[in-house]
Amino acid sequence: MLKYIGKRLLMFIPTILIISVLIFFIIQLPPGDYVTSYVAAMAAEGEIFTAEEIQELRVYYGLDDPWYIQYFDWMKGIITEGDFGFSFEHNKPVWDVIMERLPLTLAVSFVILVFQYAVSLPVGIYCANHQYSVGDYFWSFVGFVGTATPNFLLAIIIMYWIYVETGEVYLGLFSTEMLANGMRWEYVPEFLFRCLIPLIVIGTSGTCGIIRTVRAQMLDEQSRQYTLTARAKGCSEATITYKYCLRAALNPVVSGLSGSLRTIFSGSTVSAIVMNLQIQGPVLLAALKSQDMYLAGTIVMVQAILVVVGTLLSDIALAWLDPRIRFSERG
Amino acid sequence: MDNNNIIEVKDLRINIKIDEGTLTAVRGVNFEIRKGETLGLVGESGCGKSLTSKAILGINEKKCKAEGEIWFEADELGRVDLLTLNPRGKEIRSVRGKQISMIFQEPMVAFSPMYTIGNQINEATLLHITKDKKKAKEISLEVMRKVGIANAEKRYDQYPHEFSGGMLQRALIAMALVCNPKLLIADEPTTALDVTIQAQILELMKSLQKDFGMSILFITHDLGTVARMCDRVAVMYLGKIVESAPAVEIYKNPQHPYTQGLIGSVHKIGTKNQERLFSIEGTVPLALNLPAGCGFYDRCHKRIEGVCNVYDPSLVDIGEDHKIACFACTGCPNAPKNQEVTDK
Repeated sequence: MLKYIGKRLLMFIPTILIISVLIFFIIQLPPGDYVTSYVAAMAAEGEIFTAEEIQELRVYYGLDDPWYIQYFDWMKGIITEGDFGFSFEHNKPVWDVIMERLPLTLAVSFVILVFQYAVSLPVGIYCANHQYSVGDYFWSFVGFVGTATPNFLLAIIIMYWIYVETGEVYLGLFSTEMLANGMRWEYVPEFLFRCLIPLIVIGTSGTCGIIRTVRAQMLDEQSRQYTLTARAKGCSEATITYKYCLRAALNPVVSGLSGSLRTIFSGSTVSAIVMNLQIQGPVLLAALKSQDMYLAGTIVMVQAILVVVGTLLSDIALAWLDPRIRFSERG
Repeated sequence: MDNNNIIEVKDLRINIKIDEGTLTAVRGVNFEIRKGETLGLVGESGCGKSLTSKAILGINEKKCKAEGEIWFEADELGRVDLLTLNPRGKEIRSVRGKQISMIFQEPMVAFSPMYTIGNQINEATLLHITKDKKKAKEISLEVMRKVGIANAEKRYDQYPHEFSGGMLQRALIAMALVCNPKLLIADEPTTALDVTIQAQILELMKSLQKDFGMSILFITHDLGTVARMCDRVAVMYLGKIVESAPAVEIYKNPQHPYTQGLIGSVHKIGTKNQERLFSIEGTVPLALNLPAGCGFYDRCHKRIEGVCNVYDPSLVDIGEDHKIACFACTGCPNAPKNQEVTDK
């Protein structure tokens, strides 16, 4: 097992390198660069640059080199100094930009992840155990609606509804008072309420998806011969559900976890913009739009690393869950 | 209930709800199993033999509704009709696995791939015999050795995919016998195994039956294994028992046209190559909206028009322990004396 993990970790290095080249290349693909978009933005405000000034800006930002030289400089910085480059747009090191929003991003995403599994596992199991009952139909309906509704639309609907009901606008996780006065105990209820909105908006579709998966898997496992054997042995229905069916039904749920790590770091971009959440997703979008390439590159890179790590983690979890996988790895 | 009987099944009917309507898969089955004997339940696929056996344990799917009576002399509950027990309740669970246990057709899928064989055998021990984990493991290991699993201690911690099919069937038998049941239901236990392993498993079951003194309900479509294993045989066709008799009698003196067809279709060593094997004409009708009369009517070469397609025959005695449900054979061409009349 350790040997296997070691092997997989070694495989990381070439994988990440190849991904980084691809990322950098693709970010460079659109015509123009940060200076172009900067000049355009300034022109919109009435300040026109001459061709020489533009060239000077290019040299200043190091954008006159061919892309592979820029790439090597970037990689050199990362490997030797842990320097991920400079964000033109924010005018500070990329890493600082990311760290600014990291704690809140992680908190929001982690809570959403826990919420998704905490809701979907029991509901999925209930639906499977009561197939075609009223409850099952109800949750299936909710599930399909939840999966089909775009998150940002749900966000708009919920915010509109809250506005109509209370006359208050709940945008973002912090009210203007909180930002002005800092966090105080009396703000906690409101803060929690504000957290609830993105939780429902971003969590719903994922939750509904997992409910469907868990239900289908549980039904599959319930029709297997070994559940019959267990029942014939005298096992209680609870043992059959939790010891036998659920354990086997968890496989696809666990493999689904690998993608979640990436979404924890930066996901739900559009919803976050709609709800004005200070998390990572919108930053990436803005960086891509203004061709702030080191910032965009770094965020995508971190995402890629998280996907690779997530895949490894979910593979390890699968091996731990399913003895058949464990043994085939030895070969 | 006769004291010699371990279980009595009376007028068992099983209806299955499907989209097209209600399918009557078992249509009034009567049989009893005596202490220490092996009853063979023979019939082709879909005749309701598995449903019947699972109904005894109450482990059929929810869409299958069983009616009738299944009387069993249970340890704590006394004489009880198993069909009246809640299929998810405590009472029936104290019978399952402990007093009546079951082994299945495909040992390869009968164990959960997620847990070790030892874990799954031990589960039965822990449920029914002792809560002491150390003791339970001892008991489980002992049974594993008894069913011929070599190296039981090592095998105990292995997973199903590390076992061969034959070994898994042995493990399944160990799991079924660990609580020393009064009745073992074997649902085609050798169908999925190759012939040499089949013989081993059958021998094992016979010798274990002697050791444990249990009765066996042996379900199969293989007449060869019936001859080897069973004391008595009940032949099922389309959800009904059409003939029952001691095993020797069934082979020597089959009476029902269906039984005769089955026996005739078995290849016998010594027959000349040119001879064609007998085959029964036609196919089994679907048990949905069955016409009145005998279920075998369309395929029967002895059928009597106006009788067999109007009345449904029920089992009558025709000799020592020999029962048959057939108008053409019991010598009542016109009137269905003491025969059941089907509702039209």
